[in-house]
Amino acid sequence: MRISVSGIRGEVPHALNVEIVSKLSSAFASYLEEGRIALCRDSRPSSHMFKMASLSSLMAVGVGGDDFGLLPTPFLQFLIARKKYKGGISFSGGHSPYTWNAVLLLDADGAYLEASEGSEVFNIFESADFKKVTWKRLGKVLKKEFPLELYFHELSRLVNLKRIKDSHFKIVADPCNGAFSKYLKYFGDYFNLTLISINDDPSKPFPHLPEPNRKNASQVEAVVRATDSDLGFLLNSDGSRISFVDEKGNGLSEEMTLPLCLLSLNNKIKKAVTTVVSSSLSNWVADKTGISLVRTRVGQSSVVHMMEAENAEAGGEGSGSIALKSFSQGYDALLSLVLILDLLAGEDKKLTDIIQPFPIRHMRKIKVEVPPEKTYRIMDRLEEIYANEKPDFIDGIRIDRDKAWFNIRPSLTEFIIRLTIESEQQEIIRAIEEEIRERILV
Amino acid sequence: MRISDLKISISGIRGIVGKSLTPQLLIKFSEAFSSYISGDRIAIATDTRPSGEMVKHAVIAGIQSCGGSPLDLGILPIPSLQIFTSEKKIDGAISITASHNPVQWNALKLIKKGGFFLFPFEAEELLDFYYQGKFRRTGFPKEVKRVDDPFAPHKGKILNFIDLDRIKKRRPKVVIDPCGGAAAPYVKAFLEELGAEVKCINCKIAGDFPRNPEPIPENIQDLCRTVISSGADIGFAQDADADRLAAVDEKGFPLGEEYTLALAACSFLRYKQKSPIVVNLSTSRVMEDIAEKEGVALFRSKVGEINVTRLMIDKKAKFGGEGNGGIIASDIHTCRDSFTGMALLLEFLARSRKSVSELRAELPSYYMVKSKKRASYREGKRILNQIRQEFHGGKLNTQDGLRIEFPDFWFHLRLSNTEPIVRIQVESSLKQTAVEIFDHVSNLISE
Repeated sequence: MRISVSGIRGEVPHALNVEIVSKLSSAFASYLEEGRIALCRDSRPSSHMFKMASLSSLMAVGVGGDDFGLLPTPFLQFLIARKKYKGGISFSGGHSPYTWNAVLLLDADGAYLEASEGSEVFNIFESADFKKVTWKRLGKVLKKEFPLELYFHELSRLVNLKRIKDSHFKIVADPCNGAFSKYLKYFGDYFNLTLISINDDPSKPFPHLPEPNRKNASQVEAVVRATDSDLGFLLNSDGSRISFVDEKGNGLSEEMTLPLCLLSLNNKIKKAVTTVVSSSLSNWVADKTGISLVRTRVGQSSVVHMMEAENAEAGGEGSGSIALKSFSQGYDALLSLVLILDLLAGEDKKLTDIIQPFPIRHMRKIKVEVPPEKTYRIMDRLEEIYANEKPDFIDGIRIDRDKAWFNIRPSLTEFIIRLTIESEQQEIIRAIEEEIRERILV
Repeated sequence: MRISDLKISISGIRGIVGKSLTPQLLIKFSEAFSSYISGDRIAIATDTRPSGEMVKHAVIAGIQSCGGSPLDLGILPIPSLQIFTSEKKIDGAISITASHNPVQWNALKLIKKGGFFLFPFEAEELLDFYYQGKFRRTGFPKEVKRVDDPFAPHKGKILNFIDLDRIKKRRPKVVIDPCGGAAAPYVKAFLEELGAEVKCINCKIAGDFPRNPEPIPENIQDLCRTVISSGADIGFAQDADADRLAAVDEKGFPLGEEYTLALAACSFLRYKQKSPIVVNLSTSRVMEDIAEKEGVALFRSKVGEINVTRLMIDKKAKFGGEGNGGIIASDIHTCRDSFTGMALLLEFLARSRKSVSELRAELPSYYMVKSKKRASYREGKRILNQIRQEFHGGKLNTQDGLRIEFPDFWFHLRLSNTEPIVRIQVESSLKQTAVEIFDHVSNLISE
C-alpha cells in the first residue's frame, strides 16, 4: 500500500479495503467539515464498492456527495472548480493493475491534495476522530450526470476546432476498458473523427496493464496498420495518461506525450513544470519554442501545485500526462489528444513527420531491490560519491552529464531503488547502469 | 456503570446514528455476515428512516467486500424481505430497520436462507467472525443489482391464502396507519386488492415518523379518531418495519396488540386449519382459552420471534405469535407479518358477519400491566430468586426469566440481554389483582 499526500493506492483487499476507504473518507469529510463534494470512479471491480463505503462515510459526517458514477478523473477535476465543490474523491487506480485501486483526494480547485492538506487528513485518519452528525443532519447523496457539453466546449476552445473537424482524422482508440470508454462516441462526434475503438467495454477486465506505453501498444499498432489510420492512442483506466501510435503503426514512448503537447502549445504558454525524471525531449522542445521549463518532484500533486507556485501555464510528466492551468488542475489525457490533433491539423503533417526532427533519446527505468534497512545508507553513500558532479536533490539524486542524465530515488512503497537513465546512446545507458549497480551493491 | 447505546448481540447490531452506529461498524458487521453465510446472493431492504441510505451504502460495501452479490430491494417491510428471501432462494438478507424504536436509532437484522432470522448459535458464530475480523475479502467484488416489485411474492402468497371473494362481497371500510414506515408504499394497494375500501393516514414518507412507531394504544389515537370520523369497520396500525399489527374496532377502541393476535388466531383456527399454536411466555392467557375452545394444543416459547418460529417448526404449528402484535401463519411464512394479520382479520369480519367489537366481546377479558424497571443484571438475578421464593406454590417456568402462574393471575419477569432492565408483565381477569401484583413486584425490584 502507498499512502501519499493525496490519497492511498494499493492492492485490493490486502492493502486497500473498505475499512480503510471508509476511514479515509470520514477523515477527508471531517477535514472539510461541511458542504458538498463530487465523486467518480473508474471501471475496476472494487471502484463501485469503495464509492459505496465512501458515500456512507460522507453522509455520517454530514457532507453531501454528488455521485457522477463511471467518469474519468480529469472530467471530475474539471468540474470541481467550476461548480464550486468543496472537494472531490475519485476511486480510480489509473495505471495500476486491475486488482489494485486508489482513492484520490481532490481539493476545491480539483487538484490532488497538497502535502500539508493531505497530512492533516491523515492525522484525522490516524486519530479516528471523525465528525458525527445526528440523523437530521446526515449528508445527502445525489446521482448526477456529467455536463459533457460544457467540458467539450471548453476543451475545444483551447484549439482550432474547425481545423480539426475539417481534417476528418481516422483514429484508433484503446481506452483499456476504462472510464473513458463510455464517452468515446461523444468525443468522436464532437471533433468529427472516425473512431475505431478497441477495448471499450468498461464491464470487462483490462486487456493489458493500463499503462499507456509502447509495450502495451501492440493491438493499437496492428489496428492502425490494418485500417490505415492517422493516429492511435492508449489510455490508463481513468483517462489521465496517454501514449500514441503513429500513422505507420509504431507505438511511441509515453515520454513523447509531454514534448508533443508542449510543441502544440508553442506561442500559447511561457512556462511549464515537469519532474526530474521526465525525458530531456521536453527541454529540447522548450528551447525550440521559448518555453521555460521548471523541474519538481515526481507526482501529480507536486507538479500541479508547482504550476501554481511558479505561475506556469502547463505541467506534465513523462508518464504521458499534461495539465493546462486555464483548463483544469489535473492531468487530462483527452487534453493531450486534442493538442496533438491540433498540431497535426495545424502543420498538415503526419505524426512521423512531426517527430522526425526530434533528437534520439533512449530511456531506461530500472528497479533495484535493496533491503529496507540499507536504503538510506546507500543513498547517503551515493550522495558522497556524486558530490562533485553537481547533484540535484529535488527528488532523490539527479546527475546531469554531457550525453546523459540519471536519477536515483528510493521507492516509498516497495523495497527498491528506482533508477532512471536517459541518453542518446544505449551504450552510455548500459555503462551508467553498471556503474550505479556496483555502487549500490557494494 | 456506563451503558453504551450500541448493542451488538445475537439479534444483530443496533445503535444511535451520529453517536455509536458508525459507517465503519456497519461495514465490518456486513463483512462478517457476507463472510459467514454460504452462498453469495444477499438481499437488502430498509424501512423509511432518513439514516437508511447511510446505513445501506455501508452495508452494500461490506457485502461486496467479502464476495457477496447485493440485491437492493429498496424500502420493504421485514416480512416481505423474509418471504422474498425464501421464495427467490436468496442466500441471506439484511434488514435495515430499528423496528419500533424512535427515529434516531437504526439497526441491522440478519436473515438466512429460507427467510428465517439467524438461530442464536449461528448468530454467535457470526459474532466470532465479527470480533476476530475473520473476513473473506476479495479483489473482485460483485455488482449491485436492483429488484423491481420486491413486494410481489409476499402479496401473491396472501392473495392465494385468503378468501378474497368473501372479503370483496363484504367490502369492509378500513383505515390503515403504517406510520410512514416500510409498509407505506404498499399497504393501501394491498388492502384494496383484498377488496377493502381504504383510507390511509400517515402514508407519506417524510423524515421523522409521524408518531411513535410502536403500535400501542397511546400511540395510535389519530387512527382511533379517523376510524370514528370515517365510519370505518376496522383500523390497523403497523410499526416501522411492518412486522407488528394492532387493530382498532369500529367504535374507535384499540383492541391492543394481545387481542389483535387473539382475533387473528380465532380466524385462522376457525376458517383455515385446526393446528397447534405457539405463543411466547409473555402472551396473554386468552390464547389458552382460544386453544381450548378450538380443541388445539398451545405451546409457549421463550420471548423473541426466532424462538416462536423454531417451536412452531418443532411442534408443526401452523399459527403462532407474540402478544406485542406479532402474528405468524406459516402457510405464508414463519415470521411475524402484519399483512397476514390484516388479511385474517378482514376474512374474519367477512365470514362471521359480525363487527370487530362483537368479535372481541366473544373473548374473555384480561387485564395486563407491562412495564420495565432499571436493575443491573446481578441485582436482577438476585431479585428474581427472592420473588421466586415468595410466590412458591404457583406453576413455575424458568425457561426465560421467571414466569409464575396462579389460578387468578400470572406474571413474567425477564432480564434484558442488552440493557440493565427487568421487564415485568402481570395479567389477571381482575384489574385490581393485576395492579396489586404489579405494584408489589415492582416495589421489590426498586428496593
